[in-house]
Amino acid sequence: MSASTTGTRQIAMVLDLNKCIGCQTCAVACKSLWCKDEGTDYQWWCTVNTMPGRGTPKDYEEMGGGYKDSIPVRGIAPSREDFGGGWKFNHSEVFFDGNPEHKPLRVAGEQPQWGPNWDEDQGAGEYPNSYFYYMPRLCNFCTHAACVDACPRGAMAKRSSDGIVVRDEDRCRGYQFCAEACPYKKIYFNYELKISQHCIGCIPRLEQGVAPACARQCPGRLVFVGYLDDEDGPIHKLVNEWKVALPLHPEYETLPNVYYIPPLAPAPFNEDGSVNEAGSRIPPEHLESQFGPGVHDAIDTLKTEVEKARSGEASGLMDLLIAYNWQDLFPDFTRDPIDITWD
Amino acid sequence: MAADVTKTETTSNPGVSKRYHDMWKWDEVYWASHCIDCYPGNCPLRVYVKDGQVVREEPAGAFKTVQEGVPDMNPMGCQKGAGWTRLLSADERVLHPLRRVGERGDGKWEEISWDEATTEVADSILDAIEEVGPESIVAPSGCNIGPLALVGRGKFMGNLGGITLDLNAEMNDFSAGLYMTWGTFDPVSSIDDWFHSEIFLIWFGNPVYNRIPHYHFISEARYHGCEVINIAPDVGPSASHADYHMPVRPGSDAAFALSMCKVVIDEGLIDEKFATEQTDLALLVNTKTNKYLRESDVTEEGSSRQFYAWDARSGQAVLAPRGTLFWGDVEPALEGPFTVDTKDGPVEVTTVFSLMRERLEDYEPEKAAEICGIDADAIRSLARKIATKRTNILGSLNNASKHYHGDLIERSQILLLALTGNWGKHGTGMRSWGSGFLDGMLAFFLKSKRGPELTGNMLDMAEAMMQMTLQNDPTLTRKIVSVEQSRNSEPMGFVPPVFFWYRFAGYKEAWDNADWHDPSMKRPFEEYFNEAVEKGWWRGADVPHEDSPPRVLIECGGNVLRRTRGGSKRLLEHLWPQLKKIVTIDVRMSATALHSDIVLPAAQQYEKLGFGIPSSHVMNLTFCDKAVDPPGEALQEWEIFRRIAEKVEERAKERGVEPYKDSRNRTYDPKTLHETFTSSGEWLDQEVIFDEMLRDTAMVGTIPENASLEDLREKGFYRWQGLGLSARAVAQATDPQPDETFVPFRKHVEEGEPYPTLCRRSQFLIDHDWFIEADEHLPIHKEPPGIGGDYPFQVSSGHNRWSIHSLNTANDLMLETHRGEPHVVVNDHDAEKLGIEDHDLVRVFNDAGEFKVRVKISSGACPGQVVMYNGFDNYQFPDWAGPNDAEPGMIKWLHLAGGYGHFKYWATEWQPCPVMRNTRVGIEKA
Repeated sequence: MSASTTGTRQIAMVLDLNKCIGCQTCAVACKSLWCKDEGTDYQWWCTVNTMPGRGTPKDYEEMGGGYKDSIPVRGIAPSREDFGGGWKFNHSEVFFDGNPEHKPLRVAGEQPQWGPNWDEDQGAGEYPNSYFYYMPRLCNFCTHAACVDACPRGAMAKRSSDGIVVRDEDRCRGYQFCAEACPYKKIYFNYELKISQHCIGCIPRLEQGVAPACARQCPGRLVFVGYLDDEDGPIHKLVNEWKVALPLHPEYETLPNVYYIPPLAPAPFNEDGSVNEAGSRIPPEHLESQFGPGVHDAIDTLKTEVEKARSGEASGLMDLLIAYNWQDLFPDFTRDPIDITWD
Repeated sequence: MAADVTKTETTSNPGVSKRYHDMWKWDEVYWASHCIDCYPGNCPLRVYVKDGQVVREEPAGAFKTVQEGVPDMNPMGCQKGAGWTRLLSADERVLHPLRRVGERGDGKWEEISWDEATTEVADSILDAIEEVGPESIVAPSGCNIGPLALVGRGKFMGNLGGITLDLNAEMNDFSAGLYMTWGTFDPVSSIDDWFHSEIFLIWFGNPVYNRIPHYHFISEARYHGCEVINIAPDVGPSASHADYHMPVRPGSDAAFALSMCKVVIDEGLIDEKFATEQTDLALLVNTKTNKYLRESDVTEEGSSRQFYAWDARSGQAVLAPRGTLFWGDVEPALEGPFTVDTKDGPVEVTTVFSLMRERLEDYEPEKAAEICGIDADAIRSLARKIATKRTNILGSLNNASKHYHGDLIERSQILLLALTGNWGKHGTGMRSWGSGFLDGMLAFFLKSKRGPELTGNMLDMAEAMMQMTLQNDPTLTRKIVSVEQSRNSEPMGFVPPVFFWYRFAGYKEAWDNADWHDPSMKRPFEEYFNEAVEKGWWRGADVPHEDSPPRVLIECGGNVLRRTRGGSKRLLEHLWPQLKKIVTIDVRMSATALHSDIVLPAAQQYEKLGFGIPSSHVMNLTFCDKAVDPPGEALQEWEIFRRIAEKVEERAKERGVEPYKDSRNRTYDPKTLHETFTSSGEWLDQEVIFDEMLRDTAMVGTIPENASLEDLREKGFYRWQGLGLSARAVAQATDPQPDETFVPFRKHVEEGEPYPTLCRRSQFLIDHDWFIEADEHLPIHKEPPGIGGDYPFQVSSGHNRWSIHSLNTANDLMLETHRGEPHVVVNDHDAEKLGIEDHDLVRVFNDAGEFKVRVKISSGACPGQVVMYNGFDNYQFPDWAGPNDAEPGMIKWLHLAGGYGHFKYWATEWQPCPVMRNTRVGIEKA
C-alpha cells in the first residue's frame, strides 16, 4: 500500500438500505449541484439502482479493477454507452415547431438502450416470491484507493484530514487508468475536457460543516456521515460495534469507506401458499455476493433487534437507525448552509 | 481548465478546484415549497439565487421535534423538488401568449401580445354568453395550481357564472366508501403519527413512489416494532421494505377484509365497546326489508331519522341517542333477533351486526382464500394481529376508490377497523386526503376590502348562527352543523362533472353499456341517471343542463386531456368540436395546451407567491416566496385572470352586453366584471392578497396572532395551532396539540361526538332502496365488472415515481432516471407467452381504445396484470394516444343516489367518480 493512500482520519458513510426507497433524490441533488458544466451531461456521481440488477455502469461488477491478494486486477474503463444517459430530447419538435403527425417526446437521434436507472424495479425471483432492493452508490473513499495508485500523473490523492479521494483536474490528462482501476466504476470521463471526473465528497460543503448534498437531501434519512474513528458517532457504532454496516464487495480489497446496512425483505411463501416465517426471500448467497460473508451475522443481528422492538424491549441499534433527530445522521456536519456568508 | 486550480501534488491535504467552491456559492436565499398539487407535499425548501438566477434548491431541514420519542419530519423533499430549478428554464416552458396556427393539435403557434390574447378570450366568452349562457363556459379543475390560480380562477368563474368541474371527480380522489360510512371522506392524521402504528397496512397505495418525503416514518415505525404489510397483487416497490407481502388477487380485497372480520368475530377478538359506540352495528334492522327500524315505523308522529337499539338490560327496543355515541344506562345488544311492536303490528328485527355476521358466513378463511388468493392461515394470523395492535391502513390516499367496487372494499376495510377499535387513536385509522384549512383564503373570496373589520364581522356572524343552531337542536355538534351547512348551501364553485360528461363529453355510450357495469344493476343506467335528476337529488348541482352546450373551456394549470378517465380521444371527438375557444393557462406545454387555441404563459414556483396545500398530513402552512421574476411574458395566474376580466369588462361595454342570468337564477353583469373581481382595485397585488389571507387566518387562531407576509417570509412556515372553521377542518374532530402527533376522530372516540351521517354513527347499513336492490346495503365482495370488454389482462395503476401528475414528466433530469419514455410492467411468464421481450413496443387495447407503450418485464408483476403508472403525458406516447384512451371511465350507478341522509353533494365530497383499475385489456407486440 502506498503512502499516498494512508489517511490519518477517515470520513465514512453508512447507507441503510432498509430505508432506501430508490427515489433518486440523492442522485438529483448531487447532479444539480456539481454536474451542470460541459461534458458532465451524462455524469451522475451518485446513482441509485435496483438490485439484483446490472448496476451503473451496466455490468460494472464484471469490469475488473481493485486488487486480488494485494495485486492490482486489470480492469476496463466504462464507456459512455455503459453509463448511458446524457439524453437530449426533441421538446421543440414536439411542442413548438409544428407536429401534425403527433410525434412523441423522445431522445433526439438514436434511441437509448441503456441508462443510469434502466432496470429500475425489475428485480429477480419467481412471483410471488419476487424481490428487489435499492442500492445508492457514490465514490467509496477507499482506504486502499486503486484509482490513486493507478494514476501515473500523480493527479489523485487521498486527503489526510478526512480520507476523501480528490483529483487535481488540472493535472489530470484523461488517461483513464483511474477508471480502469476503480472496481466500483464510479469514475466518469469528460469527453469535452478530456479529463476524468468523480464525486468530490462535497468537500466545499464539508469544509463549511455542512453535510454532503446526497446525505442532507436524502428524504429517507438513510445516509449517516461521520468520522470512522469517532467512537461516539453512529458510523463507528454501526460498523464496528453492531457490525451491521458492511462494505460493498469487500473482495475488491480497496477497503471502501461507504458501508451498507443490508436489506431485509418480506417473508417468502411456501409452495402451498403458506408463509415461510423463517425463510429468506432474498437468497443469502446473493447478499453474500454483494456484502461478503459478514452479511449473515448482520442480518441475524438486525432481525434479533427488530424482534426486540416488537416485544417492547429497548434496542440501541434500532434507536440508532431510527435517528430520532435528523441531524444525528451527521453529527459533525449539522450547519445550516444559509448561516454561511460568502465574502 | 481554469487557472485557479488548487495544486495538489505536493500538499498532504489537497482540496478541490476553486471552480467547485464557486459552484456552491450564492447571493440570496429564499423560502420555497412546491405549491402545486403535490399533496401532501408541504416540504419547506431554500432556493439559492446567484446572478439573478435560481441555481438550485435544498430542503430547509428546519422542523423542530413535535413529540418526544417520535422522529422529526426533516428533511422532506424528493427528486422532483431537488430538480425543480430545471423546470424554470425547461424546453417545454411557455414564455409568451400563443395562438394556434393551423388545426387544433398541429403544434404550430404564433406569439401574440397579452392584449390580443385577452381580447380574443374575452370576445369568445361574451359570444358564448350571448349564444348559450354563462354555463357554457367551463373550467376543468386543474389541480397543478397554487393559491393565486385558485383564487383567480375561483373569483373569475364565480363572477362570470361559469361552471368549474369538481376536482375530486376529475382526478378520482374521492373515497365513496369512507363517505358512506363516516359522512366525510377526508379524516387525515399527520405523517409523524404513523410512527405510533404497530401494524401498518400498505393497502391500495405505493408510498415508496408517492410518499417520498414521508416514507421514513414507515421505516422508522418498523424499527420501532411495527410490522409493515403490503397487500397488493404485484410485488411492487412498496413490498421491498415490508415484513409481509400479501399477493391479493386483483379486485378481491373486500373478500380478504371481510374474512378477517369473520376471524375477529369468531375468535371473540371484537372490541365491543368501540363497535357499539362508534358504529351502527347495534342498531335495529327490520329483517324483512333490510331497513333500519325507525321511530316513524313505531309511532305516527315518529321521526324517520330516529333509530333504535335493543337494551339487553330492560329487554326492549330503546331510542338510540342522536346527540352522543355513548349509551348511558343502556346496554345495547349486538346480536338479535327480537320482536318489536310497530304501527303495523309486531315485526322481527335484528341488529346490523347480526345481519353482517350472517353475511360473513360466506367468508370463512378457507372460502375467502379461494376468492382472494391469500392463504387461510395468513388471513387468520393477520386478523389476530390487527385485533390486538394499533393498526393503520396506508398513510394517505387509499386508492381503493379507483376501483368500480372501491366503495365496497373501503367499507369492508373500515368494518375491520371498527371491529378492532382502530381509529381515533394514535397510530390507527384509514384516510384519503384533506385540505381547506386556510380560512384566510376562504374569507378572501367573500371580502371586498382590506382589514380585520369585515373578517371580524363575518366571524361573529358565523359564530352567532352556529350558537343559534346548536341551541335549537341540542343533539347537534359543531361538526354536524358545519358539514350540514356545506351540504345545504347551493353549490357556488364546483359542480360534479358527471352531468357535463354524460350530456356533452361523450360518456353516455360507455355508461349506458350494461356489460361494463356490475350485473346487480337491475335497470338501464339511463333510468337511474334520470331518476336521480328527476327526484331532485342533485338539484342545483346538475348543471349544465341539456340546453347549455359548452362553448369555452378554460384550463388553468391542469391537464384535462391527460387526466380524464374516459380518454383524450373521447373528449377530442365529442367535446372539442362544440368548443369555440379552448384556453390553457400553464407554465409548460401539456397535452391540453397542445390541443388549445390560446396558450397563456404562467409563472412557475419561485416566480410568484404560494402556499403548500394546507393539510393535517404535514400540519404546517408552508410558504413559497418569489425569488425571481418570471421569464418572457409569463405572469402569475391572478394577474392573468385579472387581465381577462378587465378585457371582458371593456369588450362588454363596447359591445353593450346586458346583465344575464344562470340556470340557478343568479344575475351577473359583465360590464362590472373587473370591478367585482378586484373589489374596485383592492386586489391587484399578490403581496397584498397573501398578507390579507395570512392576517385573516390568524384571526381564526390557527396560525400565530402576529402572522403576516413579512413574518412568514422570515419563518418560512407555521405549524397549525388549530384547523379552523371550514367543514373539512371541523370534521377532523380533533384539536391539534403543539407537542403531539395528530390523529383525527378523537372527539368521536373520546367524547362520543356523533358523526355527520344519517344515523349519526359510522354507518355500515346503507338502507337506500338502490343499495338494497343491489345487495350492497352492507359490505360484500363483488367481482370487478368486465370494463373494456372480454380481454385477459387487468390494468392497475397509481402515481408514478418520476413526476407529480404530468408536471415534471418532460424534465430531462427525471426522464434520465427511467427509460425516458413511458412503460408498462408485465410479468415475466406472461411476456414469454406473448413473445414479448423487455423494452419491446406493445399495443394495449380493448373495446374502448388503445395505446402503444414499451414493456418492462418484472417477475414482481402479478400474472394477468398490466401495471401502467400514470403521470406520463399523452405526447410521450406514439400518436399521442395515452392510457386513458383505453379507460372507459365508468362510474358506479349507485353513486348517483341521493335523498338519503348524508348522500348530498358538496364540493369534493359525495358524487360519482370515474374509475379505471381492473380495466380489461389485451396486449400484443406492436
